[in-house]
Amino acid sequence: MKRIRQISVFVENRPGRLLEVVELLGKHSINIKALSLADSTDFGIVRLVVKGTDDAIRVLKENGFTIAETHIIACMIDDKPGALANVLKILADNQINIEYMYGFASPIEGKAVMVFKFSETEKAEKILSENNIQMLSQEEIREI
Amino acid sequence: MIYDDEMETLPREALEALQLKRLQHTAERVYNLVPFYKRKFDEAGVKPEDIKKLDDLKRLPFTTKQDLRDNYPFGLFTIPLEQVVRVHASSGTTGKPTVVGYSKRDIEVWSELMARSFAAAGVSRGDIIQNAYGYGLFTGGLGAHYGGERLGATVIPISGGNTKKQIMIMKDFGSTVLTATPSYTLYLAETLKEMGISRDEIKLRVGILGAEPWSEEMRRMIEEKLGIDAIDIYGLSEILGPGVAIECIEAKHGLHIWEDAFIPEIIDPETGEVLPDGEEGELVITTILKEAIPLIRYRTRDITRIIKEPCKCGRTHRRIERIKGRTDDMLIIRGVNIFPSQIEALLMETEGVEPHYQLIVDRINNLDTLEVKVEVSEKMFSDEIRHLQKLKERIEKDIKDLYGITVKVTLAEPKSLQRFEGKAKRVIDKRKI
Repeated sequence: MKRIRQISVFVENRPGRLLEVVELLGKHSINIKALSLADSTDFGIVRLVVKGTDDAIRVLKENGFTIAETHIIACMIDDKPGALANVLKILADNQINIEYMYGFASPIEGKAVMVFKFSETEKAEKILSENNIQMLSQEEIREI
Repeated sequence: MIYDDEMETLPREALEALQLKRLQHTAERVYNLVPFYKRKFDEAGVKPEDIKKLDDLKRLPFTTKQDLRDNYPFGLFTIPLEQVVRVHASSGTTGKPTVVGYSKRDIEVWSELMARSFAAAGVSRGDIIQNAYGYGLFTGGLGAHYGGERLGATVIPISGGNTKKQIMIMKDFGSTVLTATPSYTLYLAETLKEMGISRDEIKLRVGILGAEPWSEEMRRMIEEKLGIDAIDIYGLSEILGPGVAIECIEAKHGLHIWEDAFIPEIIDPETGEVLPDGEEGELVITTILKEAIPLIRYRTRDITRIIKEPCKCGRTHRRIERIKGRTDDMLIIRGVNIFPSQIEALLMETEGVEPHYQLIVDRINNLDTLEVKVEVSEKMFSDEIRHLQKLKERIEKDIKDLYGITVKVTLAEPKSLQRFEGKAKRVIDKRKI
């Protein structure tokens, strides 16, 4: 099982609130590997993959943030046209629903990382692995 | 437990005879001693001797909060100041405070009624009362204090605020009874949890909560969080302070109003007409035992009804329903009457919502708007926007179903809304009318 721990933080939509989250992590030397911000009109959810998940959870909780931990899957794909479409096609063909996703370029030459939240994580993992899509472990994501 | 068996279970007929005698006496005193009342009685064309039966009460004029302000500070007193042993005053947020005085006997009566109230809530000698009502001009603190002492319980005069210390004392002294506002009680419960103190480490058994309108759902939540019996108490400084009426622990439904000291009436707030028992309207109280500042037909602005059915506890004093709201708290949004306590009840039935909320009223383009800010609890939080949106929409729909108006629900971060140590201020009205 190659699952990555993701922290979600509930934030009200007001200037500086995201900054507070990020500053807090910075102050405690917690490095953010990936971040996405989903927003509605009056609140947002900051989703984070960090180096030092337990510390981040503790620090955020101590500072009164509401958080949730979710398991997500990070796929390493080729950084070239059509590579993402290839993965999504496999998922679509197998009726796998994506709740949300976000991506970031990998420092490894020619690679990119896509982070997925699936409604059926286990099934998705199985399909991805059968199709030889590389999934990153928690350790691997820390290192890149 | 009944504190004053004879008086609390007096047969209705005897109780009403006593009320009539005391009413006649009070009417005579205010007529002869307070120029304001002489003028009001004369204007209404009624003399004290016209009071021949209890029903004649409705011929007497009303007293309003404004009358107290107009006679600020001591104009309605019936005794010289040297016989007044204590004064209290309302907060005066909307102008001059209303000042009330107490004679030595008034304090005695108050203590007695408050002791009765404690007993009705199941408190007795041997209990340790942590009195978190504010001491000072506000009547809550001292009223509960004297009542607790009268009963023979141990009173901790901690007053409001200083939450961490409250909890330390509660734990170390083994407080069994808490007197506080319901909103502060919830805040205490939250803080207990935050401090990692379990329910088993405190001995709290009963909460005697009042000074603000609250809902049945709020009671349920307090009882669940603290594992106590939460009892609703009613009082107002103009009439006495706490101890005017209280729920009995036997029924926990409706507050027995001590009818040997007060005559309650329910009126239509628009017309002033007296409504029959069971109908909802504004509570009007005439004090019949007070010496320093007796009030005739004081308009409380509180909305309730009289429950006429006898109570299973055996007390013969009638009950008033839990206060629904105040005529001056009532929000009129696009012509619809809304009481914050009804919104509160609705929110508390919604899973995942914390009991803290705020109502923000505004007028945009000549149209009233109502925003309901609610805190989202940790257990409800999902990392998916649509789940939170659904929660928001559900509350919006529930309010729409209840009142037929569209409101905006805003989800707030837990602990982001203001906490209150005394009376909660849940409504922010930004309308400039």
